[in-house]
Amino acid sequence: MSFASFTARGFQAMRSFSTRRNVAQRVRHALNPRNVAAYVRSLDWREVGKGVGYWTLHMVNFGCALHLFGEHVATLSYVEGPSMFPTMAMTGELTLELKWIDPHSLKRGDLVTFISPIDPTRKVCKRVTGLPGDTICVDPTGEYAPSTEHVVIPKNHIWVTGDNLPFSRDSRIYGPVPLGLVAGKLYARVLPWRDRTVFRNTFEFID
Amino acid sequence: MNVLRGLRSARAAVQNRPTLKLALSALVWLPTAYFVLENGANVKAVRGRSMQPTLNPDDSTSSDIVLFDSFSIKFLQQYRRGDIVALKSPTDSKLIVKRIVALPGDTVKTLPPYPDAEVRIPEGHAWVEGDEPFRTEDSNRFGPVPLGLVQSRLACILWPPDRMGALGKPSVVRRDAPVGSPEWRKGKAELEREKWRNSRVTVAASTTDAPGVGTSASS
Repeated sequence: MSFASFTARGFQAMRSFSTRRNVAQRVRHALNPRNVAAYVRSLDWREVGKGVGYWTLHMVNFGCALHLFGEHVATLSYVEGPSMFPTMAMTGELTLELKWIDPHSLKRGDLVTFISPIDPTRKVCKRVTGLPGDTICVDPTGEYAPSTEHVVIPKNHIWVTGDNLPFSRDSRIYGPVPLGLVAGKLYARVLPWRDRTVFRNTFEFID
Repeated sequence: MNVLRGLRSARAAVQNRPTLKLALSALVWLPTAYFVLENGANVKAVRGRSMQPTLNPDDSTSSDIVLFDSFSIKFLQQYRRGDIVALKSPTDSKLIVKRIVALPGDTVKTLPPYPDAEVRIPEGHAWVEGDEPFRTEDSNRFGPVPLGLVQSRLACILWPPDRMGALGKPSVVRRDAPVGSPEWRKGKAELEREKWRNSRVTVAASTTDAPGVGTSASS
């Protein structure tokens, strides 16, 4: 069949289908109980069951693929709570979270997400302020520890703090966080759309 | 057009080889398989001697093959004292196999490398130890570990066949073994080890399997 005759036939089919009377007729035909009964009778139920089962399995498989992508590559995640104010709004924001990261390549100033050391069911977001080997003042405000207390962060651990110190439960309370708990790194803010940004590392090294 | 022809010939090539076709259609189900391995159950070989004599009891190079159950950790959050678990080591994030000795709120009498004689387990943490205190890198070195590092629970040993079966129940001296036989001595030693382990732990006043609940009540 040539291209021209193919398109011509397509148009013809479309025109005949879109005629209102024709459509009404088709619908009436499809909804006629006798026709419905005939159609149902014509079905091979075993085949239908097979098809539905196969289709369901494929949907489950697709769901697993999506989940794995979100767990290991990247995902959109909702961040809320007062601890990261003013970087994150208290009412919550949608962010793009990268999961395909090497926890050893984190830098001071990165926004990380990790499983909370005090509650394994919770995921929290904080800013990295210390890397392995750094000597860090536990709490400069003196709220949770005397402001003269310093610790050396052990190997394979990071020091994390919230941006809103008075409303944050972070390393000042639970100490250095093992890198094994780190889940991902926040890359960009997506919603609200007018505040969209890529999170830049704003830490400066002072000699 | 060349691309189309190439695709068509590739398709024909697949269709003509039933094994290749089967392999490709199996590949489609990879996400489900991986999901189940990650969040359901997983078969692994355990190397090392830190869990002797429960795992790898003899000094041969063979490793036990065991079934790990991640479902009860990741979905049910079941952390129980005495369970053998696989967790990411806090010192290098590698997977290690240890036994949970104490849960949040408990007080543990520590063993030598640890600086303090007694330690109270903070909220959301656990005290893990190997069964062989001389050959293990455990909480006596790195302190209480966050429960979030725990990945899966050892459900049963699959290989070697003579030790095949579930673990985690309190061990009892086998009644059918004659007194003094190797099995009897083994059971006795296991029981004594467990008693010794439990004697070092003061369980928190109100404990549930939910992490962190015991501490809020007692603090």
